[in-house]
Amino acid sequence: MSDRDAGSGFPQNRRQFLRNSAALGGASLAAGAAALPGPALAQGASDTLVVASPATPQGLDIEFDVSLGSIDTLGALYEYMLGYEKMADPHAPGVMREDTGVHPDKPNGLALKGKLAESWEVTPDGRKATFKLREGVKSNWGNTFTAKDVKWTWDRKFNLKGQGLFQTAVLGLHTPDQIKIEGDHAISFNLEKPNPLLLKQQCNLANPIYDSVKCAQAGGKDDPWAVKFLKNDSAGFGPYRLKQLLRGQQAVFEARDDYWGDKPAMKRVIMKEVPTSASRLSLLDGGAVDIAQFLQPRELQSLKGSKTVAVDAVNASYMIWLELNAAIKPFDNIDVRRAFNYAIPQDEIIRTIYYGYADKQTAPMPYIYPMADTSFFDYNLNLDKAKALLGKAGLGGGFSTTISYNAGDPTQEPIALLIQTSLRKIGVTITLEKLPAGVFYEAVTKRQKPVIFYLDSPWTPDPGYSMYLYFNQKSYVDYSNYKNDRVDQLITEGLETLDDKIRQQKYTEVQKILMSEAPWGFLAYPKYTMARKAGLKGFTYYTSNNLRFQDFSRA
Amino acid sequence: MMSALGFFGRALLARPRFAVGYAIVALVVLAALFAPWVAPYSPVEANPNEFLELPSRAHLFGTDAVGMDIFSRAITAPRIDLTIAILGTLLSSVVGTALGALVGFYSVGRGPKVWLSFAVMRAADVLQAFPVFVFAIALVAALGQSIETVVLAIAFVNMPIYLRLMRSQVLSIRAMRYVEAAKVAGVSDATTIRRHIIPNAIAPVLAQLSINVGWGILLTSALSFVGAGVRAPTPEWGSMISMGFQNVVTGQWWPSVFPGLSLAITVFGFSLVGASIEMLSDPARRQTLAQEMERRNARAAARQLVKAGI
Repeated sequence: MSDRDAGSGFPQNRRQFLRNSAALGGASLAAGAAALPGPALAQGASDTLVVASPATPQGLDIEFDVSLGSIDTLGALYEYMLGYEKMADPHAPGVMREDTGVHPDKPNGLALKGKLAESWEVTPDGRKATFKLREGVKSNWGNTFTAKDVKWTWDRKFNLKGQGLFQTAVLGLHTPDQIKIEGDHAISFNLEKPNPLLLKQQCNLANPIYDSVKCAQAGGKDDPWAVKFLKNDSAGFGPYRLKQLLRGQQAVFEARDDYWGDKPAMKRVIMKEVPTSASRLSLLDGGAVDIAQFLQPRELQSLKGSKTVAVDAVNASYMIWLELNAAIKPFDNIDVRRAFNYAIPQDEIIRTIYYGYADKQTAPMPYIYPMADTSFFDYNLNLDKAKALLGKAGLGGGFSTTISYNAGDPTQEPIALLIQTSLRKIGVTITLEKLPAGVFYEAVTKRQKPVIFYLDSPWTPDPGYSMYLYFNQKSYVDYSNYKNDRVDQLITEGLETLDDKIRQQKYTEVQKILMSEAPWGFLAYPKYTMARKAGLKGFTYYTSNNLRFQDFSRA
Repeated sequence: MMSALGFFGRALLARPRFAVGYAIVALVVLAALFAPWVAPYSPVEANPNEFLELPSRAHLFGTDAVGMDIFSRAITAPRIDLTIAILGTLLSSVVGTALGALVGFYSVGRGPKVWLSFAVMRAADVLQAFPVFVFAIALVAALGQSIETVVLAIAFVNMPIYLRLMRSQVLSIRAMRYVEAAKVAGVSDATTIRRHIIPNAIAPVLAQLSINVGWGILLTSALSFVGAGVRAPTPEWGSMISMGFQNVVTGQWWPSVFPGLSLAITVFGFSLVGASIEMLSDPARRQTLAQEMERRNARAAARQLVKAGI
């Protein structure tokens, strides 16, 4: 941010500027405020949405960047082939969410609506899906949407081998040829085996469709997949275009008049980077921003009773658990893992650390996903049972181990302290290891810690997708080193049939086995929370846990 | 001995701030010794039924986010903080003093010993060129997070201070006649250093010790505050402040403020003690103090006489 900007766009002297910045409650905002034209921070501008985020997007390309700031921009800049129908959240009044349930009465058992795809058809054997594409859709660069854009999007995944490779693998796509252009506005996906995720993945936040004409032009010969261009700019069919990206300060978005669907109510969106949650809280409380993202539970609690600020808390796809490393003694022993679970004071964690902004984790997948079965959960705090199980494992005298946690997540240390105190009562001595955020993720992926925290969410609302990620021994994300051939077989079989009854049967069995073998220390389902101005309406929850600016409007 | 103690007592009366310093240090040492018997609760036991409670009769300093009693933790903390700081300071002073004496003794002339002395001094320059805190964090990162590492870190960052202090003392003492006499009499270098040089150069080192213990406590706390020091839930002031500071925003100030005050007061106490030792070990300032005390006594006596109407 230069002084020149401050001088031209913000006509006020230095003292006023400092005073205003201070009034806005955070030095972190001060740098960015200089670039905002006056009305953006004044509250008269009703069609401008100001969001205080922990981070601005590092990159805008989902292929390489899935950080917090980035995933909040994708749904605004890009359009998807399909989306779920929206429904009112049964627990949070005024909040909408995706209808991700099983619907035997609907085509393919799913409540989907067309976006870039106008209609679609899956062959009875489940191996081919043909999409008829919407005509007359323009990108933010004015190019018209065709089947070539879809093809190019998937070819890019095959070629760049970033996170898109996972997207192709999960659908069982081995070569780009399996995606065929069937006309200017028709495209088909051709699989070797039926796959229940074929339509669901078209809604996944990680599969935005690119404007191939602009990308080819911007990338040129040197960069055929426009990697450099898409890192800093967008070429898509979504409702917003990127106006400005100053990393570490702010990103500004502008609604597109030529967007094919409903025009967003918020014409301008300013996403400001405010790293500390306390500053975000005070900005929202002081009326300087419309949304403060990712506040701590205690901060949310402090907003209760406010007339100007509202907090929505919805059941979400987040899960936080302990990876009990099955490759490290004594966690190779199922009884020890079960004992560990019986000693976790889940209720106290929910009450003391989350202030109720979480539920007990009672299944090995998000409880909001179809086919989740919480009836196998039996790990209510029971130290006698825990002690008996340790005795059975030959560790009646207790043992010592280490729990590693992320210094960047303020909830993990207190949770670890509660668990440590609880386990001490059955003779288990726990050393706590606080790891800086960068080192922490490396430690998780290396799978060399006996017990380590992990917070994650599988974006696609599907039991097979979720459990394949965390429990299939071939999965990169099986961080607890869990191995069970029967579980692998059942998960895979469930991913090769479209029959929801059979899937339900298989996934129920998987959940039963997983709960009894306890590969995780089950902790909590943290809620997705939205701290917003009371007059801001339209918040919609997505299982990818991100904002879509187009949902919001003012009362 | 009696007269020295008597002088010390009278000096404290003349400079009451030093008395405050010694009182604080005494209190901290007593806390460190007797905390397990005095603390009303276990300092490492979470109690989720009583989290973030305001200071009250049951919990003098309140409880933190997981329900640990802050008073029990605050008075147990010196066991860790003081031990680390004292061990670190002693280690640095012993090594620094010995090296400083050698380097000072062999800093003139030629030969491998002199070159080695030169190398030691340059190494100390390198050590001191790093910002103390950054260097300590790097050391903890390299050696792993443990109490032993923090002790080593304190020893490392303080060692050059003693090295330089001792060297400068030795440089002037080695030119003294009695050192030359020892040399002429055929006394070995080692004996000369041990018997004649170190005892005469040690006074400023002793004064430095107390100040460094205060710094050591501060460094330990700072390391723990950023998560590089002792592990949670070991009661330690810096880590307590760090665990509690998120609560300050939402109005729960006590988890951070009480350990913060304890830390500030302790370091202040050690600084005062250091200042008093420095003054008492300096003959010129000691004499000024003695004269001042005499004048004061004389004035008091004069007042008595006036009062008695003489």
